[in-house]
Amino acid sequence: MNGLRETALRLSAVVDRDWKKFRRNPVVIAMSVLMPIIYLMILGNSFQGKLRGLPLAVVNQDSGPYSRSVLDNLRAIAAGPRTLVIRAATDEAAAVAGVRNGIYKAALVIPPDFSKKVVLKAGPEVGLFLDNTDGISAQALRGAVNGAVGAIASDYVPIRERAYEIHLRDNNLYRQVDYFQSLVPGVVIMSIFLGAMTTGVFNIVMDRFVGVEEAYLLTPLTKTDIVAGLIISGLSITTAVAVLVLAAGVAITGIPLPGSVEQYALMLLLIVLATLSLLSLMFAILGRARHPRIVGVMSGFLNVILFFPSGAMYPVASLPGWLRGLARINPEAYAVSALKAVLFKGAHLATVWGDIAFLAAFTAVMMTAAIVLFKRTL
Amino acid sequence: MTEGRKAVQVSGITKKYGEAAVVDNVAFEVCEGEIFGFLGPNGAGKTTLVRMLTTLIVPTRGSAKIAGFDVVREAGAVRRQIGVIPQAMTSDTDLTGYENIDIYARFYGIPARERKERIQYLLETVGLAARANDLVAAYSGGMRRRLEIARVLMHRPKILFLDEPTSGLDPQSRRAVWELLDKIRQEDTMTLFLTTHYMEEAEALCTRVAIIDAGKIVILGSPQELKQHLPGKDVISLTLEKLSDAIGDSVKNLPFAHQVFAEDNSIRVAVDMGARDLPAIMEVIRSAGGKVLSATVHEQSLEDVFIYFTGRSIRDEGPKKVSLLSAGMPRRTGG
Ligand SMILES: Nc1ncnc2c1ncn2[C@@H]1O[C@H](COP(=O)(O)OP(=O)(O)O)[C@@H](O)[C@H]1O
Ligand SMILES: [Mg+2]
Repeated sequence: MNGLRETALRLSAVVDRDWKKFRRNPVVIAMSVLMPIIYLMILGNSFQGKLRGLPLAVVNQDSGPYSRSVLDNLRAIAAGPRTLVIRAATDEAAAVAGVRNGIYKAALVIPPDFSKKVVLKAGPEVGLFLDNTDGISAQALRGAVNGAVGAIASDYVPIRERAYEIHLRDNNLYRQVDYFQSLVPGVVIMSIFLGAMTTGVFNIVMDRFVGVEEAYLLTPLTKTDIVAGLIISGLSITTAVAVLVLAAGVAITGIPLPGSVEQYALMLLLIVLATLSLLSLMFAILGRARHPRIVGVMSGFLNVILFFPSGAMYPVASLPGWLRGLARINPEAYAVSALKAVLFKGAHLATVWGDIAFLAAFTAVMMTAAIVLFKRTL
Repeated sequence: MTEGRKAVQVSGITKKYGEAAVVDNVAFEVCEGEIFGFLGPNGAGKTTLVRMLTTLIVPTRGSAKIAGFDVVREAGAVRRQIGVIPQAMTSDTDLTGYENIDIYARFYGIPARERKERIQYLLETVGLAARANDLVAAYSGGMRRRLEIARVLMHRPKILFLDEPTSGLDPQSRRAVWELLDKIRQEDTMTLFLTTHYMEEAEALCTRVAIIDAGKIVILGSPQELKQHLPGKDVISLTLEKLSDAIGDSVKNLPFAHQVFAEDNSIRVAVDMGARDLPAIMEVIRSAGGKVLSATVHEQSLEDVFIYFTGRSIRDEGPKKVSLLSAGMPRRTGG
């Protein structure tokens, strides 16, 4: 088919031109890889905030007075410092499944004999199931539950009597993930953002600015050739950089490598889709910009509104409602959550397919908008 | 050159920016094989006109057909028929000369083997074969323009548009471009449409010229036809130490002076025989108290045609546009 061959030739020429220009700019290549790693170092050592609104599932199987006072104490925390919100769960299995699926950050199970054991001083226990892939959330919830359970002891028992300390039994659902490691997916997303900002639409704005765009608009290139070609070249460059950043992040923070090929394939797919989402979003917004400075200003703005509420550094659950709403349409939030699930929990396609579907749909909508909005005249 | 098929047909084309018509109701036709020139000062609307004819700007009113295709409704088909060298340099400085042409040729779907042979041939034609693998950033303005000419010929356009192809070039590079265009024309039958604000360029290259001023065609014809409108045959140009009204009037009153055009401290007089009439003019100026610094006699040129029809010299553009003009003036390395 002749038309197909010519289309392929045109697209490959747009991509090749972009690659050649990128290759002649080695400083940009080095910076694209180094900068996100520097971010990782700085974020990992500087960001410590107070957490709020972490969802805690409570399964109370005990009808005695002590479990009620534990619940009262938890409600006091929910009303006061608001570290957590209490969600009633029907049984232990549902609560633990909820943690696994990311609905709850932790599940507290108070067993049937709790009040009795407190009275008998028989070593009462409660069970706390933590999503410890989110290190800071787990830490905050552990502290809050410790406080709530510990408080009933001091109310009813002289402090000297230490015999019946209530044990908080941590049941880590997954291996321990420290804060430093938990930043790696976010840093990968940041490198994707940086790549999407310096490739793709930026190149057409630059061509327009220096005046060479005119010659390209005079050729048989179609809108789709131009938009798709630049997105493809941006995708290839950015994906390569993001994979390097992920590998470096995993090596530096000592994350154990996932066991199966499926996880590697999923991570690559997520990186590709996140890159496509951001490249086409920026193309839709900036496709008509005439000055590279507009791209600069817009990128700074987009970076803040996409990255900070993405859950990369701070759990989405702790954000106020309107920001959580923003996270619901934020491709970075889906990419971060899915990457975390695959990298730390060994999630399978079945777990993250919703994120994948969102990113694919987001790309389709934005790419269509970018092509429709692109102007083929001066 | 009035017979034959039409390469360009323009009727009532107009472009407005706000209220101002930058190109105002322009109509003309160009036959296949012609070298047609648009001559006019900076800001006359040449670039805007070329951009409308080459699908880059949508006209406010009117229409144009290129090789029979409408520039708005059949823009894609028009683009396949034409080659365009825009006024500004449009080659990529961070690619080599060869890469610039190769990538451009792929936009036209030219297969690899044909590309290789034709790039080699065209680079030799424009004298850049030895510099093919250097980055364009290291080219001079003249080399860059020649590269762009080679690039635009890759897909064998039927009609070649050149918007001020030599503005910004030094005289030597300009002559090289002229010779190149001449050579290309002899090898390939192509219609050439060029704009310029250099009289010599229009005169040296074009079979027909349209003079454009403030968005309107003032007059159109072959250089010879245009000059026939002028009274006299020669022009005497004089530069004085100081030009006064008295001097101007006394020159105007000379019986053999067909037309007098005064600007700053120089004066142009249209006469029938320059060599015969020069001494008498010098004498009249001297007796009116003027001092002549220089005097030249030359045959009437398109510059005189422009002055005759617009009452201004082509360099005369009012105080605001002087800087615009200087931006288009020859520079050593080009833009
Ligand atoms: N995009 C634009 N908006 C407003 N005015 C414009 C625009 N482009 C050109 N002009 C004006 O139109 C006039 C003709 O410009 P142009 O076609 O570039 O002239 P030329 O090529 O003959 O020098 C100039 O006065 C210029 O300032
Ligand atoms: Mg111009």
